[in-house]
Amino acid sequence: MSNITKSGGDDAEFAKPLYTPIKRRSFFMYAGATAGATALLLSGCDDDDDNNGTQPGAVSLGSGDVGVLNYAYALEQLEAAFYARVVASPFSGMTTDERTALTAIAQHEAIHRDFFKAAITAAAPTQIIGSLTPKFDNINFSDRTSVLSTARTFEDLGVSAYNGAGSLIQNSTYLLIAGKIVSVEARHAAYIRDLITPGSFSGSDVVDANGLDVRRSVSEVLTLAQPFITETINGDNVGK
Amino acid sequence: MHFLKLLARLAETDTESLTLTGPRRTALRRLAQAGTAALPAVLTALPQPAVARDSRTVQDVLKLALTLEQLENAFYTQALQQPLSFFGTTENQAAIQTIQGHEQQHVALFTRLLVNAGATLDLTPRFDFTGSKNGAQAALYPDVFTNFDTFLRVAQLLEDTGVRAYKGQVEYIQFDNFLLESAVRAHSVEARHASHIRTMRRQRGATVKSWVSPSDAPIATTGSVAAKAYAGEDSFTQYLAGNNLVPFVDNLPINVAKPPLSQAAILAKVAEAFDEPLDGLTATEVVSLFIY
Repeated sequence: MSNITKSGGDDAEFAKPLYTPIKRRSFFMYAGATAGATALLLSGCDDDDDNNGTQPGAVSLGSGDVGVLNYAYALEQLEAAFYARVVASPFSGMTTDERTALTAIAQHEAIHRDFFKAAITAAAPTQIIGSLTPKFDNINFSDRTSVLSTARTFEDLGVSAYNGAGSLIQNSTYLLIAGKIVSVEARHAAYIRDLITPGSFSGSDVVDANGLDVRRSVSEVLTLAQPFITETINGDNVGK
Repeated sequence: MHFLKLLARLAETDTESLTLTGPRRTALRRLAQAGTAALPAVLTALPQPAVARDSRTVQDVLKLALTLEQLENAFYTQALQQPLSFFGTTENQAAIQTIQGHEQQHVALFTRLLVNAGATLDLTPRFDFTGSKNGAQAALYPDVFTNFDTFLRVAQLLEDTGVRAYKGQVEYIQFDNFLLESAVRAHSVEARHASHIRTMRRQRGATVKSWVSPSDAPIATTGSVAAKAYAGEDSFTQYLAGNNLVPFVDNLPINVAKPPLSQAAILAKVAEAFDEPLDGLTATEVVSLFIY
């Protein structure tokens, strides 16, 4: 796939700690980049961001299993960036239990993000997408309702994305990985939904009459995710 | 093995007639064939790795799923026969009602999938949720339907086991997109249930996260069958295709805490971030605690 993405550069620097004993400098790059929202956003603004697709600001996820991995990586980047902001600037009235849980969720999503970065770097180093620039203009991070409803959107979206992508994955190791992650996302989703409306953990808006969770196609997911991402994401060939 | 017991019981019973077969029957006639049997002879003749291979059939997968769902459905149905005082609040009762509804739908779904594929249904197992095998041994959970906290502990065990069991089965149905998607979508609903049960327990004072965490207070005695439901769940090693390890172990690339977490604390978060599969035999063993 010639029209996909970039390699090397800052991304390779960031991925390196996953393969070599960590150096102090790169560790602090990570700690710094994720400690605060501003730094995180900046890290999404690498100056080589715009060579990802056929047009400036466009990112193609690619095809086949690598496309599915990039698809998951894009969604996890979005979630990780969102929760990093939530933790960095807690909404007013956040309880201790909420702060503990939202911090843990932020960590889980960052781990998922970095896992996919490592996975794609190992499997197809020339095809990994770059760091996406989140667009959270419409989220009021100081407002509980705004934050939790966005969190619910992201978690339910993530669950539906993994559920819809399972049948696109050829490699059974990657399929199992998707399974290992989707249930954690579903646990997050249930927790967030219960915060908004107690008892709505598996409401009829997400679970159908067969007792099955929502599944969405790649294009359905990207349509819902796109408003939160600056770059235009193209997932036309994911899993193909 | 309760499946063997069921088979024995089936032999002396007038079983489901084969005329129940549906349109999918022909396509799925190979349902009961072992997965490895379909491999060309040249492949099977190759030296096998010295690891025991689980050769589960699609029928095994569907029957395990059905047994799990029947177990959960019966468990919540029995609970719902208890008075409101058992649940404490109508919210608690309503949550159990919601979960029971999904388990019932899952039972119907997997029954339909098996019947449509031409499989013969086993008799619904007999359940004893105290774990006493109908009085044949000491009860593991004697107050399961009189003490709501005990009930929630067993509920967590069943839901977490369900999540892991589905995950352990996906590789055997990967070739059938419809079955795969049905299973993974039921699987994430079980995870939602597990999360809610865990949240309820935490609100009632238990040390437990809404996700499986090494910091959870164990709900089963070390070395017991129930403890197998959590064995290996705290793994922080993850593999890529080709058995390549992602070395979270040696490195600390991920840290969103201020001040930064210790390596041990990060690895605990890695363990939380991935739910682990449970193989079919172990899942059956856990389920069998409640079947006689």
